[in-house]
Amino acid sequence: MLLTTTVGSFPKPDYLAKARNQFARGGLSREKLKELELQAIKETIQLQEELGLDILVHGEMERGDMTTYFAENWEGFRISSPVRSYGNRYYRKPIVVDRLRRPKPTTVEYFQYAQSLTAKPVKGMLTGPYTMCDWSFNEYYPHREALTMAFAEVIHAEVVDLEKAGAKYIQIDEPAISTRPEELDLAIRAMKVVTAGVKTKTISHICYGDFKLIYPKILELPVEQLDLEFANNHFLHLEIFKTPKFTKEIAVGVVDVHSHRIESIEEVKNNIKKALQLFDPQKVYIDPDCGLKTRTWEEAKAKLKVMVEAVREVKQELKLD
Amino acid sequence: MKTTVVGNYPKIVSDKNAPNLRNSLNAWEQKKISSEQLEDIYQKTIQRVLKEQSQAGIDIVTDGQIRWDDLVTPLARNISGFEMGGLIRFFNNNVYYRRPVVKSKLSFKAYSTLEQFKFAGAHSSKPVKVALPGPLTFAQLALDEHYHDLEKLTLDLAEILHQEVLGLENAGCQYIQLDEPSLCYLPDQAPLATKAIEIVFNGIRAHKILFFYFGRVDNLLPKILAAPVDSLGVDVVSHKENLEAITKVSWDEKELILGCLDARNTRLEREEDILKLADKVCQRIPKQKVSLSPSCGLEFLPHETALKKLNFLSQIAGRIN
Repeated sequence: MLLTTTVGSFPKPDYLAKARNQFARGGLSREKLKELELQAIKETIQLQEELGLDILVHGEMERGDMTTYFAENWEGFRISSPVRSYGNRYYRKPIVVDRLRRPKPTTVEYFQYAQSLTAKPVKGMLTGPYTMCDWSFNEYYPHREALTMAFAEVIHAEVVDLEKAGAKYIQIDEPAISTRPEELDLAIRAMKVVTAGVKTKTISHICYGDFKLIYPKILELPVEQLDLEFANNHFLHLEIFKTPKFTKEIAVGVVDVHSHRIESIEEVKNNIKKALQLFDPQKVYIDPDCGLKTRTWEEAKAKLKVMVEAVREVKQELKLD
Repeated sequence: MKTTVVGNYPKIVSDKNAPNLRNSLNAWEQKKISSEQLEDIYQKTIQRVLKEQSQAGIDIVTDGQIRWDDLVTPLARNISGFEMGGLIRFFNNNVYYRRPVVKSKLSFKAYSTLEQFKFAGAHSSKPVKVALPGPLTFAQLALDEHYHDLEKLTLDLAEILHQEVLGLENAGCQYIQLDEPSLCYLPDQAPLATKAIEIVFNGIRAHKILFFYFGRVDNLLPKILAAPVDSLGVDVVSHKENLEAITKVSWDEKELILGCLDARNTRLEREEDILKLADKVCQRIPKQKVSLSPSCGLEFLPHETALKKLNFLSQIAGRIN
């Protein structure tokens, strides 16, 4: 009950951020970069063990961006020159120029490595078909539906491989799902393909959204657990999930990943208690709002430490276990 | 047939030797270059953007909104009563804007676009249009912690925009556009928007434009035709229904800017498809009242694709003449 976890990404240690830049400029070999990625994964696992988290992640040290990473490893893509996302931040956006194909399992090796370092379960981490479509340019498939369903097939194959490799949890993130409520049906249909026949517990993380527009329809998304942000919005949208009753497992975001401020234990305890008033404690997981990659290593550590302690105290007070 | 653009344009090019605003902004933040050096890069970038449009044969250009992070903050920073809030998704795009928070009664503090217009006007061989957030969209994109009344907020913003527009008109600006994407999602607010637009454009002699992108206009167009503007711009790419909607209303009192090239996807349109589309429109509207544009600002695209689309746009327009 109240198992603790994180959404996926961890801050890249300085040595890795530097190495990635060097690699991009041709000043570092693929092998050397990989060595440093594995080192960073090891440190991420160690940190989570130290903090006492229950379900671990590998930290996505090999990924620059949650869509571009897959585009770089699958066939059918070109990568655009940088486009701006906000302020002075840019990213390279995938361009689908041919039929999608996955030449070999993409995430299994890093998953296996991370899992080999710990007795606790490590989550397999993927980006969902709807988000992959929404965050790519499409020059090949006739429309968004065809592209989304093509992504679904490829991601399904990856899910099957992660399951075979022993993943106890597979998370398939769909942060774009709430931006076009008129396409929610498509996103659900695509996820059906992704999770078809899968026995491992599946999770989907959704953020930055207006949940009003997608609830309760989102309960039809064929995953067992939804992972949603709450802290960032001061739990105001908890109301939305009152009626009808929330039927899935839920991971509740209780610390804000977009602020430098470290929450107090009391504050996070209150957040957890708010969630417990609405959701069945048996089905609640506790995590930060979103990936931690925009925080510093120290901030991430401090926030998680507060979170784990808050969960411990709440469990004790409410005699949950 | 005439051509124009909607507003923003990519700030950086792939050519490594060209002035790079992104790197310069980073260097300036790290105090490695002076504000004067940064200003020089801004000016060179804006001159490049003006030149690219004019060389492509675009008839009415913009300065590419090169100094803007997003549609609302450049103006919001010069309005008393606003504080800048957090990042939030810009409509259904994987792009963010900083949300202005209304803390007290809003009032005009300083011009936002006047100097930008003067600079662009002095360096352009083509007439320079200025695009501003429309009052309703501005109100919708802000977080209202003061008025708690959409109408009051919208009308106060309209008064402030009127000041801005007066300044532009006095400086010789001949084309002034209000972007109203939010109105597509709130067609029932057309009467309020019309009232607000009357305030913004009261007594203005420049060519006045209202532009709708991202959303559907089939319910909106009949309700907004009375707005006191000379042209309506419509994105006919994002929704199939929009083309049909255009052919169903009377254009006796208005000119049309047909947003016909997809500014959110890198796929280059087929000439025959665009000609067919223009033909369909021209059966209902005299062709001297129609001009062509991309579906929205071009900054969603990487630079090389944006430039290709500009060239293609004027090529198509040439075919129709």
